[in-house]
Order: sequence, then C-alpha cells, then structure tokens
Amino acid sequence: MTDGKDFKKATLSIGGMTCASCVAHVEDALKGVRGVKGAVVNLATGKASVDFDPSQASLSVMKKAVDEIGYEVVLSTASLRVTGMTCASCVENIQKAVGDLPGVAKVVVNLAAGTARVEYEPAITPLSEIKKAIQALGYGAEERAEGQEALDREKEARQREIKRQRTNLIISWSIGFLVVLGTFQPYWFLPSIIPAWMNNKVFLFFLTTPIVFGPGRQFFTNSWNGLKRGLTDMNLLYATGIGAAYFIAVINTFWPDAGFGGREATFYEAAALLTAFIILGRYLEAITRGRTSEAIRRLMKLQPKKARVLRDGQEVEIPAEEVQIDDVLLVRPGEAIPVDGLVLEGYSAVDQSMITGESMPVEKKAGDEVIGGTINKTGAFRFKATRVGKDTALSQIIKLVEDAQTTKAPIQKLADKVAGHFILGVHALALIVFLFWFFVGYGLWFVPESRLILTPYVLAGMGVFGFALLTSVTVLIISCPCAVGLATPSAIMAGSGKGAEHGILFKEAEAIENTAKLKAVIFDKTGTLTKGEPSVTDVMALGSFSQDEVLHMAAVAEKNSEHPLGEAIVRGARQRGLEPQDAESFNAIPGHGVEATSNGHTILLGNRKLMAERNIGMDGQMPEAERLEREGKTAMFVAVDGKPAGIVAVADTLKETSALAVKELHRMGIQVAMITGDNRRTAEAIARQVGIDRVLAEVLPADKANEVRKLQAEGLKVAMVGDGINDAPALAQADVGIAIGSGTDIAKETGHVILIKDDLMDVIAALQIGRQTLRLIKQNLFWAFSYNTLSIPIGAGLLYPFFAQMVSPELAALLMATSSISVTLNTLRMRSYIPQVRRHGQTGALAPAVMREPSVN
Amino acid sequence: MNIRSARFISALIYLGTALLAAALFLVATSGGDYDWVARAGGAGWVFMLTTIVLMPVVIPLVKRKYNR
Repeated sequence: MTDGKDFKKATLSIGGMTCASCVAHVEDALKGVRGVKGAVVNLATGKASVDFDPSQASLSVMKKAVDEIGYEVVLSTASLRVTGMTCASCVENIQKAVGDLPGVAKVVVNLAAGTARVEYEPAITPLSEIKKAIQALGYGAEERAEGQEALDREKEARQREIKRQRTNLIISWSIGFLVVLGTFQPYWFLPSIIPAWMNNKVFLFFLTTPIVFGPGRQFFTNSWNGLKRGLTDMNLLYATGIGAAYFIAVINTFWPDAGFGGREATFYEAAALLTAFIILGRYLEAITRGRTSEAIRRLMKLQPKKARVLRDGQEVEIPAEEVQIDDVLLVRPGEAIPVDGLVLEGYSAVDQSMITGESMPVEKKAGDEVIGGTINKTGAFRFKATRVGKDTALSQIIKLVEDAQTTKAPIQKLADKVAGHFILGVHALALIVFLFWFFVGYGLWFVPESRLILTPYVLAGMGVFGFALLTSVTVLIISCPCAVGLATPSAIMAGSGKGAEHGILFKEAEAIENTAKLKAVIFDKTGTLTKGEPSVTDVMALGSFSQDEVLHMAAVAEKNSEHPLGEAIVRGARQRGLEPQDAESFNAIPGHGVEATSNGHTILLGNRKLMAERNIGMDGQMPEAERLEREGKTAMFVAVDGKPAGIVAVADTLKETSALAVKELHRMGIQVAMITGDNRRTAEAIARQVGIDRVLAEVLPADKANEVRKLQAEGLKVAMVGDGINDAPALAQADVGIAIGSGTDIAKETGHVILIKDDLMDVIAALQIGRQTLRLIKQNLFWAFSYNTLSIPIGAGLLYPFFAQMVSPELAALLMATSSISVTLNTLRMRSYIPQVRRHGQTGALAPAVMREPSVN
Repeated sequence: MNIRSARFISALIYLGTALLAAALFLVATSGGDYDWVARAGGAGWVFMLTTIVLMPVVIPLVKRKYNR
C-alpha cells in the first residue's frame, strides 16, 4: 500500500529503443500516464518496470503512451477456445469483459471459429484471470496450445528487430555501394572500370533518395515523434545529419549555382553511407545485445514442455504447464524433471548444474527434493509435484534475474542522466561550431586545396556556409552517445546472467555494484559457517570403560531426550553402529542433564554441576574438559553407578568450505567478522578454526542489525551472510544481504543476493562476478566517454587549422558505430568469464580446508 | 490554462526565440561579404538548431507551470 492506494508492479517489454535518451523518453511517457507512480526502463533488456494504480492506469493507456512516442510495448498473445457462444452479442460481451481487464490491450473474438485472441501483459493480468472473466459470463474458455509462445515472445521481438535492420542493411549497403562507385568514378583508377554516366548527379540523386527515405525513414519519423512532444534523441542527430547532407547534395545537383559548393560538392555518398553505417551499427547492436541476455534464455529453455503423470493408475503425457500440485509424475533416465517435487520411490542421480551450479550429479532417493528443469541421469523414479507453474524454482529464478535486469545500478543512473542531456548539448555545440566556422574559422584557415579525410574530395568549391554546415553536421553525427547508454545495462545483464549460471541470484543491479565494492563480510555462525547441527566430536573413556561403552550409555540416557545435544549423542552412537536400547527409567534434570537406568545400571549424563551435586569426582578430568570447551565444544560428563565413566564432547561442526572461504576473502582484502548469540569462548573457538579475527559474540538476533550498522559507521561497505529468514533484519541493514542455502524456495528469501547452494565459496564467486561486472562497466564507460571526448573536438575541426583535413560525415558515422560496437563486444567477454574460485571445477578442486573429523580419543 | 494552450505558448516561446536568433544572424551577416545563399541558409540552420535546443527545454517548463 502506498498513499492509501493499491499499487501494482509490472514489467513491460519495450521494442524500438536504441539509446539512453530513448530510456528517458519511455520513462517520461509512462510516468505521464495518470495512475503511474514510477517507471524504470532498462535499455539493454528492453524492459520497463512500472508501478501503477490499476484502478486508474490500464495497459492500453500505457501502451498508447509508449506507441505515441515511436516505441512499442511487446505483449503476449493468447489464443483461447471459447465455447457456448451463440450470437454477436456474446462476442460483444466477451470483448467488453476481457477488454476492461487492466492488463489486456486488445481482444478479438471470433464467433464462427469459437476463439478469442488476446493481447495482454501477464505481469498485470495473468491468463487465468482472463479465462475466469469469460467463464464468469457463462462461457467455456480454455487455452489453445500456445503456452510456449509467451516464453519466446522476447526472442521473437528481438529477431523481428534483427530482421528489420538486416533488410535495411542490405538495401542501404547494396545501393550505397553503387552511390560510392558513382561518386568516386572520376578518381584513381576508377574511370577505366566504371562508366562515366554513373557519376551523373541526377543518377546519384535517384540512387540515394530510396536509401534516405527507405531505411533512413525510421530516423526522421522517430525523431519527429519525439520532437513534437519536446523530446530529443539519437534519431534527431541522425536525421539532422542525413537530412543536411542530402539537402546540400540536392541543392548542388539541381541548383549548382546556389553557392553550396556546386556539382563538385554533392555529398550523396555522405547521406548514403551515413545511413548505411548507422544501420550497420544498429544491426550489430541488435545481435550482440541479444547475446548478452543469453543466460536468461538458456534458463527459459530449461523449462520442460512435457510431463508424464499418473492419472487413475494410467501413465499420461501432458503439457508440463498443466501439471497440478500433488500430481504423481514419472521420470526416466535422460529426461528433464518437469516441475519441483518430492521423490516418492526410486533412486537416481540428477544433474542440477543448470540451477545450482553444482558440477556433480546429486543422488536422489525417497523423501528428497527434485527441481524442475534439472536432468535425471541414471535411474527412474516417481515424485509428487510440490510447486508448479510460476512457483517452481526455475520460474522464480527467471523472474528474479529478469527483475534484476530491469533495475538500474547507481552508476547507470548517472550515465543515463549524462547521456540524456548530451543530445541537447550536442545540438548547442553544433550551433556554436557552425557560428564559429562561419564568422571566424573559414576566413582564417580555409584552404581551397584541403580535403575530407579518406576521400578524394577537394573542398575548393565550398563556400563559407557549405563549410560551416558540413562541420556542424559532422559534430552532430560524431557526438552520438549511444555507447554511453549501452555501457552499464549491457554489463549488468551479462553479470546477473553469469551469476544465475553459478546459482547466485542478484536481486537488483545495485546489489551487483555494491557487491563489487564490499570491504567487510559478516558471517552468521550457526547454519552459515557451521552446519547448524551439533554432532559428537570427542569421546573420552575412564577406568575400565571403553569409548564405545561410554558413548552407548550416554545414548541410552538421551534416547528419549528432545534436546539437540541429546539427539546429537544418539545420532553419534548410531553412526558408530551402537543402537541404544530404551532406558527403564528416564529423568530430565533441567539445566543439568539427565538420569536414566538401564540393565540395572544408573547412568548420569550432564554438566560438572550435576556431577558435583551427586558427589562424583571428576576433578582429574577438568583440564581435559576445559580444553574441549576452549575448542568451542560442549563437554558432558558420564557417570555409571556413581562412578566417573568418561566425557562426551558435542559441537556444531564447520562446513567444509568455511575456512577456505574466509582465507579467500582475506586474500581479496576483505575484513571478515563472525556474529553469533553464543558465548564468547565458544564463538572465539569457532572463529579461530576458520581464521576469523573479529568476533561479535553474545548478540541477540534482534541486535544483529545494530552490529551491521556499527561496521557501516566505520565507513565500510558491509555484506551480511546468513539465513535468509532468521537474519532478515541484519540482511536488510547490510549494504549487501547475502542469503545462503536458500535451496529452491527463492521467493521467500530476503537479502539482496541469494545463493541457491549451501556453499560459502559462492560468496567469493558473487564478489568476483560483482567485481568483474563493475570492471566491465568502468571499461565500457571509459571507452564510451573517451570516444566522445576525443571525437568531438576532431569533428568540430580542431585539426583543420594544422593539417587542412576535415572528418567527413560518413567517417563520423563509422566512428560512432564503432564506439557502440566496441562497448558491446567488450561486454560479450563476460560470456566466457568464470569466477576464479570456479576455474578449476567445483570448490573441491581448490583444496578445501581440512576439517576436524569427529575424533574418538 | 489547458494542455492545448500550454503547447501553443511553448511553441510561441521556442519559435519566437529561434526566429530572433535567425534574425540576429541575418543582421550580423549584413555587413560582411556574404552572398544571399550563405545568409539565408545560415539563418535557416541557426533557426533549426535553436528550435531543437529550445523545444525540450521550453515544453517541459511550460507544462510544469500548467500542471501547477
């Protein structure tokens, strides 16, 4: 609830965006819709995240606002089979009822075919609601087999854009090539191979015009759509540049004496190549940008299409999306597991690498959890569906990664702001450059023999206006900040996708940036550094008792106990093949221990206070007990028939990778702290074992957030690693809250980063992915801003007074396209990136810390 | 003020200012050795760029005033 209104959040796919200013325009258009509270657009993903009040704003209004400024909202389409319709009024009724739903943009009902085709946004109105609306009117409605269509809609939209730009590219380059040949026919060796009529200016006019108004039309229409609403974008730069070059060429062709340089200064090839280069840039961007989101498409492809379900004792194959909770499913070797569930019978090994990043198959037996989208390797098994449709782990992961890619990192907000104001600045600069060369530069430095770089053109026939205009147009073209707009979002997409590949889910772009800047990591102790389950670590026998006898008797005494330490002792005995029998009598002594009788013997198990009260002399064993306690273990004394029998020590054991993870963090220059509610001595013992030097002990769960705040007050960027549910306040307070071992129930997790596996090395991997992503962002921004910083003065004619060479508009277009492509290619390097901790396979290959195995003294 | 008059007022401001800039250009070139194409073409280019620079500045300003 916000301001007393129910706001909804939806993610819309936006088509046609090409630059950072497009982002600002779409955001402004959406924010201008009544009822829309906020909108954040990501250029690289082509997604807009919208907060809106469904009672005031509908999808059709938002779509119209976006369409009006020259972009499109890419929607899902569903085809429904509608039964029970009899007349035209049925059609009207259904169209009205469905059309009024907030997430529906268009509905067409066909009475004869008994179908309804709906264009809708599932994030606002799911298909089930549309079906319900039809069913409420008394008609039947079921989905026709088009479920996969929604999944592929983004890919289709991207492919449409690639195809459109490819057609434009073929037209502009094939005709443009002829224009270049014709223009340069009189030069070099060309007169001998190209006929002179190809240099005819009217012929060139007829070749160039279809390029400018065919493939180049998009720049004029898009810039006009924006301009009439007071918006400027990259298209305006292109349109002004192409338009000015074409305008000069036409004037010089048909009115050669008008003073624009005459027939020797027709820039048809500039207009044609300018269009061709810009379209080449857009085409390559469309391709490479698609590749940066490959990770999410790979995840989407994992969603199985079919499932084998037991219905009335029969094995039935149905679409995976129709599986219901509690359905019993069968999976054979080599098949994908359709949904999440619990194994009922059978045994197999399942490859979960696509979800968790684990390289080795995981064994599955009755009672184990299986994840939809993973691959069954060896045996066959039956399982019960526990999560289906949008609730499966895979669907949640896809949504989470998609959401993260829609958000903006702080560094991106700044870059977008700069890029947004840049267009205006460039036009102002073009005006200043024009005035300078018109009133000052031309008179001072113009040399009739001067040339345009890499062309045979001599500028002799160029008048003051033509020269100043040419320079001004070059500034417009060369300054385009496309690369600045792409630099951050493309890297964020690549980083979040790479994280998902390794079972590391960044909830938002800011989390990636903050992870890269971390200076301190606080680990929760229980369940994070340790396994969270105590076990027997040491058994000491006294007198004539053997170690097994001591452990067995302790287990007998604790068999009926529900205390975690008692359970650990019983488990420890069973692990050694010692099955404790039931005690004849059992008495719990609160705060002290237990007393039991078995086979005529009285067994006493408890702390030193209990032994002292019963006058059992344990003084000789005190040094050993104290040693165990210094190691963070709980020492429990065993006495049989009033005589000391031994000591059993129980402790929560460290996870295999805890010490290695801490060592790696130290190596990376990160301060590591441990937080726990335990007493200081136990906490310090654990901290010593893993190599942590800063211990925050005896901290109540509610005070953990305060401890995080204290570290932040020291100026450190702090990550808190812990249980996503119990440590929620501390995770929220930290700059980066890392919820570890969430398994498959991702939706419930708090924190900014979610680690699917229960492996502390993933904290390192998250840091390394974050750092690599931020490094990419910085490199991209450096290249993008360096390009503009260097190219603008050159385009403005800075070199002309010294070398008498000018940058031609077509060369400016080539340089501009190169800058965008270099940024996207740099980002693509992330595809082959593997976090250092994962380079030699799984964590195990990094020589995991040697663990203290439960020892029996 | 309704949205239509806001647009009209915006257009008056940016077009008026751009025309003024173009006129200033013509005045500035009246004393020099410029032919009519350079003067007219230059004034046209100044008008166009000034309009492009002013539109995104003026329109939101006027709209904001209208919304208040």
